[in-house]
Amino acid sequence: MSREEHKITERDLHAYADGALDGAARAAVEAHLAADPAAAEEVQAWRRQNEALRALYGHVAAEPVPPRLNAPRIDRALRARTIHWSRMAAAAVLLVCVGAVAGWFGREFAGPAPASATLVTEAVEAHRIYATEVRHPVEVWADEREHLQTWLSKRLDRAITVPDLREAGLTLVGGRLLPASNGPAAQFMYEDDTGRRLTLYIIPAQNGRETAFRYAKLEKLEAFFWSDEGISCALVGDMPRNKLREIATRAYEQLE
Amino acid sequence: MPQILDEIEECVPALRRYARALTHNPDLADDLVQDCLERAIRKRALWRPSGTVRSWMFRILLNIYRNDLRRRRRAPHLPLDTLAADPPSLDTQPGRLALAETARAMQSLPMEQREVLLLVAVEEMSYSEAAEVLGIPLGTLMSRLGRARATLRRLTEAGAPKLRSVR
Repeated sequence: MSREEHKITERDLHAYADGALDGAARAAVEAHLAADPAAAEEVQAWRRQNEALRALYGHVAAEPVPPRLNAPRIDRALRARTIHWSRMAAAAVLLVCVGAVAGWFGREFAGPAPASATLVTEAVEAHRIYATEVRHPVEVWADEREHLQTWLSKRLDRAITVPDLREAGLTLVGGRLLPASNGPAAQFMYEDDTGRRLTLYIIPAQNGRETAFRYAKLEKLEAFFWSDEGISCALVGDMPRNKLREIATRAYEQLE
Repeated sequence: MPQILDEIEECVPALRRYARALTHNPDLADDLVQDCLERAIRKRALWRPSGTVRSWMFRILLNIYRNDLRRRRRAPHLPLDTLAADPPSLDTQPGRLALAETARAMQSLPMEQREVLLLVAVEEMSYSEAAEVLGIPLGTLMSRLGRARATLRRLTEAGAPKLRSVR
């Protein structure tokens, strides 16, 4: 295709105004603008906007960074917190485990269950129903991963990433949308090379507070659950606790 | 691993600039950046370079910002407009009048459009990187950018006060 036949699009005009074109592409837009004063005027206006916006906000990047935004310092603070947590971990896991199971079995007489017990209960129920399904375990299969991600992000009103757990030996089967007690929930299903299945259950959280991993054991199934920025998650499977914890960590780190 | 920490650190000035431009509030902006840094540093262990550290950081910042807005919407006693502080003493000098007008117009620009325009005009990201940050297709990015520029032009050229009285 010769350059003369190349039609100048709106996108070319924006790219020109943003200084993203060079060489022939730039010359082509310039020729176009010379013949179209209205377009030239518009591009000029965009350039003035860019200049005004840079003049307004540009100086912020030149300000000295306040100490609380110093990355190595934040890193050290987080490490200190983690060490503290790991010393407490054994005791804490036990306590929460008892709490969650009490919440599960004691629902009728213990008043309303705490939100985390509801989460685990629902996640485990959903796991029991769908992980044993042979023909219809998921609504959307893994070959439509992109669609699955977009769809569930939209329905949960959160940016959800489908975690990639292949390094832990798990491939994605797919996912589905489910009704939870407080609105929609997403369930992603994975399986290992023996066909053993694991599900990740996600609901939008009402407050964005993060929590540490907590653990519950319900008959044969084990669950790790946590809250993150805007979402609460439970990972359910019939797997050794250490393995499940490692997978939960991977999932946590990939869910933004 | 320390390398990622360095790359994260290099993003801080730009993140502050973007957060300030989104919120028009220096304290709130730095709170957002701090949350973003804690999150990125905590999650860096398994971060896989499917894009740049910079676009990853901006994506985290935007997620936190949007969740924050959602929380505010549920708590209406915290009006969003308390965020809006005009840059100090911009409108005293005639040459700066246009800047003050742009600052005001930016605050009435719909959030989607503001996010895009600032990534392109102030952060000077390529269209594909901006689309990656926002998690939208390139075509959507371009149409939002077009709308943002048209809206901003209308708001500044028609004069923001008039528009306000109509509303």
